[in-house]
Amino acid sequence: MFYTSSLHRITLLASKPQRLHQFAGTKLQSSPKRTRTIVTESAMNDAFTKYTQYLNDLNDKRERVVKASRDITMNSKKVIFQVHRMSKYNKEEVLKKAEKDLAAVTNQYMSRLVKELQGTDFWKLRRAYSPGVQEYIEAATFCKFCKTGTLLNLDEINATLLPLGDPSLEPLQINVLDYLLGLADLTGELMRLAIGRISDGELEFAKKICSFARDIYRELTLVVPHMDDSSDMKTKMDTMLQSVKKIENACFSVHVRGSEYMPLTGSNDPSSFLVGVPDIEL
Amino acid sequence: MTYMKPAFRNAICTSSHFLNPKSIIIVPSKLSSLQSLPTLRTSLSPSFLRYRFRFETFRLLSPAYCSSFAMAGGDHPASASSVSLEKQFEDFRLQLEESGGFRERIRAVVFEIESTTRLMHASLLLVHQSRPTPELLEKAKSQIAVLKGLYNRLAEVLSQCPGQYYRYHGDWRSETQSVVSLLTFTHWLETGSLLVHSDVEEKLGLNNSEFGLDIEDYLVGVCFMSNELPRYVVNQVTAGEYDCPRKVLKFLTDLHAAFRMLNLRNDFLRKKFDGMKYDLRKVEEVYYDVKIRGLTASGEVNGDQGIQGQS
Repeated sequence: MFYTSSLHRITLLASKPQRLHQFAGTKLQSSPKRTRTIVTESAMNDAFTKYTQYLNDLNDKRERVVKASRDITMNSKKVIFQVHRMSKYNKEEVLKKAEKDLAAVTNQYMSRLVKELQGTDFWKLRRAYSPGVQEYIEAATFCKFCKTGTLLNLDEINATLLPLGDPSLEPLQINVLDYLLGLADLTGELMRLAIGRISDGELEFAKKICSFARDIYRELTLVVPHMDDSSDMKTKMDTMLQSVKKIENACFSVHVRGSEYMPLTGSNDPSSFLVGVPDIEL
Repeated sequence: MTYMKPAFRNAICTSSHFLNPKSIIIVPSKLSSLQSLPTLRTSLSPSFLRYRFRFETFRLLSPAYCSSFAMAGGDHPASASSVSLEKQFEDFRLQLEESGGFRERIRAVVFEIESTTRLMHASLLLVHQSRPTPELLEKAKSQIAVLKGLYNRLAEVLSQCPGQYYRYHGDWRSETQSVVSLLTFTHWLETGSLLVHSDVEEKLGLNNSEFGLDIEDYLVGVCFMSNELPRYVVNQVTAGEYDCPRKVLKFLTDLHAAFRMLNLRNDFLRKKFDGMKYDLRKVEEVYYDVKIRGLTASGEVNGDQGIQGQS
């Protein structure tokens, strides 16, 4: 009872905080003690109205950022799948499509995130957008590697994000931690790619993937101990080592038993591998 | 590791044997004998060395040499791309080491904040043993100035990495929440009202600096303060202060009502707020116990005659 009555009073006061003094002064002059408590109550009330506003804004923003991040994740995954559709014969067009898709992710979804976060302390909401950004980095570096065989640098990624935002505000820049976490995931994709390439007969490409994945793993061993929350990264490093080992083992198998794979690798036409044999001997 | 040549490995092993704290000074000269390696950094800053040697020295040191070795004469060609890859990771490591340094400096200040908070808490705990006296509160309040100084130092450290407040926020979050709870509790003991966010900032000297008090931290701190109130009420009644439960109940009811205006997420603050109702219930129980025995009648009860008439 006590409870509801005071709550009622609070909602009343909330609508007209400026009239409060007058009201308390005229009606309750007989009881000075009560006047004082009502005044402090309203100060508390005003303050809490401010906090409510702050929390509402923050939560809305976080919600939007999470949504943007999910969209980025989903569409970056599609880009990665597109890259995996690559084979010896359609490399050019598959990669072209993947790049186009990636550009769409950047312009459509990353730009939403950039607009949302620009000019603020983007560390505050990092946990809300980090998964999306990691996936995006994975997709972008994956595309780049398949195309040129090199690693897409963080500076290059950030440079592509700059034009998406308002130049007058501090732009969203992907931080080192998210970049490294994204790279750690890249090795898993590289592993799948390597296995695919080997079964497709592209041994040179597989070897290149192998040394690239090794390079990344090796470089990361130096950096990981300095990362802020390295526990997450440590599990990723373990998975990464597994992936690197899988690539190495696959490369080893074809290296040792290479001759047994030859008939397939030389074939131009998958349906007639026997006809392909002479190709090898040329 | 597999790239390492035996002779080189021996050199590292010998030097790592020497790496006890006393002989750290000789390490740079040992390193300089390896200057011929192209990518080896010869100008190691003191903090760099300290950071390195604190942890597993050998493991952290050796991969650096291995990689530069592998690049120089290893089994795969040192193309332009792998050099740029190496370069980028080198930059990352420097960046991360720098932020690790920041973190250490922040933690040093936070450590002092924590111990000051402990002193303040200890002196405030005396309110449970007697009625709160002005001297007692003065003693607790004397620590506020110390805290203010420490927060200024923290703000100064943070001013060197602008826009990264929330990167390091976790390092002072829980300590700051305790500070808030102590400040608001002291203020409440003095005036019977809630110290609002901006006033806490002012007391800590944060109101016009970049470094502010996070509102969620403030609210969590207020919840911590509310946790203190049931115990306070119980002890005050034991000490013969029978009007205390009424005042506390009034305050806590208002506070709880105010918190109900907030739209909370399912997070720590929400959990703390949910706990507040148990504080409220405990205080209500004490109030009831005191009232039903007519103990309040001895004190000044002008204020709640209306309620008394109704019940």
